[in-house]
Amino acid sequence: MMTSTATIGRVLKAPVAVVRSSPKLAGGLIVLALLVLTALSSPLVSRAIGHGADPVAVAAYERWLVPSPAHPLGTDQLGRDVLSMIIGSMSTSLQIGAIAGVISTAIGVVVAFLAGYLGGWIDAVLSTFTGILLVIPTFPLLIALSAYAKEVTLFQVGLMLSIFSWPFAAKIIRSQVLSLRTRPYVELAKVSKAGAMEVIVTELLPNLAPFIGVGFASAALGAIFGLVGLEVIGLGPSGVIDLGHIIYSAISTGALTLGAWPMFVVPIALLTLLFAALNMVNIGLEEVYNPRLRSER
Amino acid sequence: MTSVVTTRADDKSEPNPTPTVRAVGVRSVLARHPLAAYAVRRFGLYLIEMWGALTIAFFFFRLIPGDPIQTFIQTLQQNYVYNVQASAEVIARYQHEFGLDGNIFVQYLHHMKKLIIDHDFGPSLINYPTPAQNVIMQSLPWTIGLLGISAVIAWIVGLGAGALAGWRRGKAGAEVATNLAIMLGHVPFYFVALILVYVFAYSLGWLPSRSAYDSNIPPAFSPQFIGSVLQHGILPAASIVIIGVFNWLLSTRMLMIPVLGEDYLLYAEAKGLRPGDILTRYALRNCYLPQVTAFGLSLGFIFNGNVLVEQLFNYPGLGSTLVTAIQQLDFNTILAVTDMAIISVLTINLILDLLLPFLDPRVKYWG
Repeated sequence: MMTSTATIGRVLKAPVAVVRSSPKLAGGLIVLALLVLTALSSPLVSRAIGHGADPVAVAAYERWLVPSPAHPLGTDQLGRDVLSMIIGSMSTSLQIGAIAGVISTAIGVVVAFLAGYLGGWIDAVLSTFTGILLVIPTFPLLIALSAYAKEVTLFQVGLMLSIFSWPFAAKIIRSQVLSLRTRPYVELAKVSKAGAMEVIVTELLPNLAPFIGVGFASAALGAIFGLVGLEVIGLGPSGVIDLGHIIYSAISTGALTLGAWPMFVVPIALLTLLFAALNMVNIGLEEVYNPRLRSER
Repeated sequence: MTSVVTTRADDKSEPNPTPTVRAVGVRSVLARHPLAAYAVRRFGLYLIEMWGALTIAFFFFRLIPGDPIQTFIQTLQQNYVYNVQASAEVIARYQHEFGLDGNIFVQYLHHMKKLIIDHDFGPSLINYPTPAQNVIMQSLPWTIGLLGISAVIAWIVGLGAGALAGWRRGKAGAEVATNLAIMLGHVPFYFVALILVYVFAYSLGWLPSRSAYDSNIPPAFSPQFIGSVLQHGILPAASIVIIGVFNWLLSTRMLMIPVLGEDYLLYAEAKGLRPGDILTRYALRNCYLPQVTAFGLSLGFIFNGNVLVEQLFNYPGLGSTLVTAIQQLDFNTILAVTDMAIISVLTINLILDLLLPFLDPRVKYWG
């Protein structure tokens, strides 16, 4: 009982100290939090702009209105308010990233432990398979999967994307398992007759937490990336409206030539912020645990 | 068991050695020739990866719903005003022609046999009876030209910039470049392409936004045609290069910094060598090798993004061919494009890995 409470304490205390020590990590997390808050404010924005009516209903307003106080980002080809649309779709993008990130990280952790801890031919097979998925161009396969998936829920889309994003997480976590399993304290735990599960839970997982974080961020990044890619060429799963979909409709309806710049500049800016934030989290975590990489020495 | 140890900083991505079955005599020969053993082992891994990737691709594309033969016959009927219902024999004939008869495992064996023995992807559906490989051969040079050249330029420039950013770390310029790279390194390059199109093609009207050359100029080795190709290539290539440079800058800097603390650099400095020489001949030479491997590993990812860039610019490369083929359910062309991309990426990786021992005398082998 004592040990488990102590373990939980360690798992909880470590992240706070880590965030304090790295401005990059803190900055990334703050931007992420702001983006999540913006996405959560979607109903409020809809109410403020629509005054009770649905601002993203077809023909709610005139088509192609230029930005004005009533419609800060103008309206699109069907007379929908662009700001409400963008904030709503950002929430979709973030949810997809979170779902796919969690699934990928879970698969990644299991694969990494099987491969890294057991070693031998299991490691050879799993690592070769992970390697194949990381090296080959997987986007065509994702397009195929997307064509197969009709009328899907957000969860299913997340599941679909994690098929291609788990190797990112698995690769990062496996290399850490490999380096941790020969550390003296792990050897000590093994010698003192701790079971494999006990060693994994009490000794390895707390020390792996940051790398599981990096794995999550990479996988979420990969998944959002993939979905935006599918949507931008109009081959995304039907019924999912994420930021990529807005960019696609901006391109396909000629918003670029019509000068309706907010319709593609704002989604791109938001996604760029999101990618930058996730990458800052990644690099921040890596720097904390690999101090050789820090710029100030 | 022979093994290879490289002195790379990042050896994590490398899958573990895959045991290959060899006779005892061969084993002793290989033990005496570690370089040959490395080549054999790497080639074995290549074959396994190739088989795995091509198999994954085949089964994935069979997931796409829809009946390609029905689509094909409908197109035929529309084109030739052929109003009679297609008979069962006609359908069976075409199914055989396209390699779509029998259950999925029969189809798989048929596909692999055609691919490996005859190097044949079967006829293209939309361009019947042109073989799919001929369809992709028309688009392949465009993709190799666009993607290959811009990926190499990005790698070289990024390596130089990263070395400099590591060398001058702490100085304002280097820190700005590094932080910019952290912000923008993971932005998909078609975003950059979109912005470039908007600014340089629509707003300023300086550069063309579509196609790979001016269709009014006959394709030939004339200065006008080459000029037109270059003019059309600038925007798509720039998008790949800009993001690529940021990525390589960041990873090279990360490799550089540990090297900069090494004693031999201090010694070189004490000897009074010029800083430029120390940077290129001592520091960079000791950290660029992982980047050779990383270049190979990044190609698949670059191809993914290239599909979108080609689509955006209506560039007649593999990416556009792929998207058109998927929209038209042209199975053989879809598989041909994907298989070609897989084969190219894995083969380039094999070549780069086999070159490594020649590039780096520190790579050691033992029996």
